[in-house]
Amino acid sequence: MLPLSLLKTAQGHPMLVELKNGETYNGHLVNCDTWMNIHLREVICTSKDGDRFWRMPECYIRGNTIKYLRVPDEVIDKVQEESKSRTDRKPPGVGRGRGRGGSQDGPGGRPAKGIGRGFDEGGARGQGGSRGGRGGLGGSRGAGRGRG
Amino acid sequence: MSGRKETVLDLAKFVDKGVQVKLTGGRQVTGTLKGYDQLLNLVLDEAVEFIRDADDPLKTTDQTRRLGLIVCRGTAVMLVSPTDGTDEIANPFLQPEGA
Repeated sequence: MLPLSLLKTAQGHPMLVELKNGETYNGHLVNCDTWMNIHLREVICTSKDGDRFWRMPECYIRGNTIKYLRVPDEVIDKVQEESKSRTDRKPPGVGRGRGRGGSQDGPGGRPAKGIGRGFDEGGARGQGGSRGGRGGLGGSRGAGRGRG
Repeated sequence: MSGRKETVLDLAKFVDKGVQVKLTGGRQVTGTLKGYDQLLNLVLDEAVEFIRDADDPLKTTDQTRRLGLIVCRGTAVMLVSPTDGTDEIANPFLQPEGA
């Protein structure tokens, strides 16, 4: 279970958010995003010391200021249902896709390389032969110089 | 000047309304929201900062100072809420005696 999927599942539920500065916010989660930025409604803000309280109709809290969130217990049941249904669906499809891709690439790629090497070897032989010829020419030139 | 997708809270509804902004480091400002962007940079008009207690910088006092027109940098914005309907209240978590 991912923290952010739990949080997303908790949309519409009451929760407590404590910020790094110690202030806490109790409210109903309206929305959240991948940065854990959250939008709360019907919020009660409590000071760090817990001695002052403010009511606000809604508030936006930047994700990186959050220390932790408390979510109702019943949310965990809902998020598990979702994650189960996801794992039931995903693995077979992903497995097949990977398996097919791998089996096609492997045998298909290797023979092609083998054929390519075969041609290369043939070319190398041909070049080798021509080199031999050049060497022979060089030798004859050298012989000529030697004579001169 | 206008908002973009991917925002949890559409600030468009707060434009030309009073907002309370808390900044990292503890400063607290209210003002009229004149503009914003997707990085949460804010333009506040007639902004007022709440002076904090010298002994305890976490506590705000009733003292204020006028800042006028300001731009709040988005990365420093910790919290945004409308001033309308925001009030200090008595402890709402106290359970009635004998309950």
